[in-house]
Amino acid sequence: MATTYPTALPPRRRSISLGQSLMHIFLFVWCVIAVAPFIWSFLASFKPFRELVSSQDLFPHTWTLNGYREIFNRAHFLTAVRNSIISAVSVTVATCFTSAAVGYVFAKYRFWGKEQLFTLLLATLMVPFAVVLVPLYITIYKIGLGNSLGGIIVTGFWSTFGIFLMRQFMETIPFELIDAARIDGASEWRIFFRIVLPLATAPLAALAIFSFLGNWDSYLWPLVVLNSPEKQTIPLILSGLRSLYWTRYDMWTAGSMLTVVPIMILYAFASKWFIRGIAMTGIKG
Amino acid sequence: MAKVRTDDPRLQALRLGEQATAGQFIPRPDRRAAVARTLRRPQFWFGVTVLIPTLIWYWIFSFQPIFSAFWIAVHKYQVLAPSTSPFIGFDNFRYLWANPLFLVAVRNTLLWGVLAFTLTLPLALLLSVCLANVARGRNLYQFFIFLPVVVSLVAITLLFRMLMDPDIGQFNTILNALGLHSWTWLSDSSSALPTAVGIGVWKGIGGTVVLLTAGMLNIPAELQDAALVDGANEWQRFWKITLPLLSHTLVLVMVLLAIGSLQEFTLPQLLSTSGAGNSLYVLNILIYNEAFQNLRFGTATAAALLQFAFILVISMVQLKLIRPKWSY
Repeated sequence: MATTYPTALPPRRRSISLGQSLMHIFLFVWCVIAVAPFIWSFLASFKPFRELVSSQDLFPHTWTLNGYREIFNRAHFLTAVRNSIISAVSVTVATCFTSAAVGYVFAKYRFWGKEQLFTLLLATLMVPFAVVLVPLYITIYKIGLGNSLGGIIVTGFWSTFGIFLMRQFMETIPFELIDAARIDGASEWRIFFRIVLPLATAPLAALAIFSFLGNWDSYLWPLVVLNSPEKQTIPLILSGLRSLYWTRYDMWTAGSMLTVVPIMILYAFASKWFIRGIAMTGIKG
Repeated sequence: MAKVRTDDPRLQALRLGEQATAGQFIPRPDRRAAVARTLRRPQFWFGVTVLIPTLIWYWIFSFQPIFSAFWIAVHKYQVLAPSTSPFIGFDNFRYLWANPLFLVAVRNTLLWGVLAFTLTLPLALLLSVCLANVARGRNLYQFFIFLPVVVSLVAITLLFRMLMDPDIGQFNTILNALGLHSWTWLSDSSSALPTAVGIGVWKGIGGTVVLLTAGMLNIPAELQDAALVDGANEWQRFWKITLPLLSHTLVLVMVLLAIGSLQEFTLPQLLSTSGAGNSLYVLNILIYNEAFQNLRFGTATAAALLQFAFILVISMVQLKLIRPKWSY
């Protein structure tokens, strides 16, 4: 008996509801608000100074790299880039390593006073940075790291937030996995590097981005610790433009774009990890 | 009341970790042997090599500075010879009170906190409701909404100072093109604070939206469906289902917002113009100036401790008032 099946379902009518379109409009408007200043500034950074302060057009009439040239020549910008990269990368690498190790110990080891110690560490998160600003400054100078990159790197070696985050994750690693490796005769370091760390790639990536951005952006602490121009990081150089070159808007845009664009390119490729780094702070529970 | 005999053999057995009912006496393991066994454990050494440097670092760069903050706050700190600093009790707090800028700073800080809070929360809720319910394009929207969060704050302050230039800035150009009058933005004491808070909200709202959206998407769909079956409309579903079930996330977001907005430094410091006067002078700027321009370490730290106390109280109140007592 031949049964006839409908070859195609009747086309479903896509009803575009009012609610959906309102939501799309609202989101779209906010996206424009969020992005427009960057687009304008990016294009403006190629305008000559005279055009930048007089023309209202989005696109430059004459394209120039003068702003960029000036900022490299007049401000210690390349040095600042180097300093920023050195400090942000070393803090990020250190933070990831220490957070993973300490988080692992807190998650999988049993020892006397563990929970009390963990609470003590977490309690430091409650203290505003302003409280330790002066004492930390004194300490840094006392140990001879004043006015050096070391002074802003060493304070970032451990991160309480990172430890908390990694402990949360390490709790989910099954004991069986670790015990199996122990039975096979792996040393604790081998277990940590070969089993625990590879499993923790996802939270580590998010933590790395979180910590890199925090240091790339850090302003108050470097401002306090670093004095001489050749030690300064990008945010310090940029904020210095305000007073040193207070009308040189072409240098301002160029400098800002040099700071913003690399991060944006990174974000375009890894936005998932950027967003996850933020979303992880809100894990329910 | 019967006195418990401490030499009761059953108690001793308990102390040895044995069940008293077993009735057998198991000799106490040799202490030295136990220590030796612990020392032989690879876990022990791993833990020690990880924890010892951690504790040393925390002592030098976290605990010790916190303790000495309390010491500095009650001393007249001598920068050149710290150990000779005389104890002056609460004089630092008294100096602070006598400083006319202190009340200005407190007022501006509170104003900043309240404004940032009331602007961010409703707007972020609205954006995340849209994000969570939109049928398609969620990731794309989220990408752009989150964009200002990742870029450097210092660079953004420069860009906005330029865009908000009262004479040649792009913002006033747009206002004029729309037939409106120019606004003073950051260059006037009446408009500088709301403008600066606005920039802060623009920059930071993406983080709040991501947290809230993740929280909303975490709410089990059955609950929404059940309400839908019962005939609840969207408005009712938002107030009766989404918002109450979101309260775990909401508490976190509110505490983070309050803590963050009471500790602004970079934005008010870099956005202040000569025209703005003291209108962006917040507590953290006062602390910074007291410490590193006037070299009054004691007063600065006293102000920081007051800020700490205030933030602590605010967070506790928020947690007490709105912390949910249930979970799903």
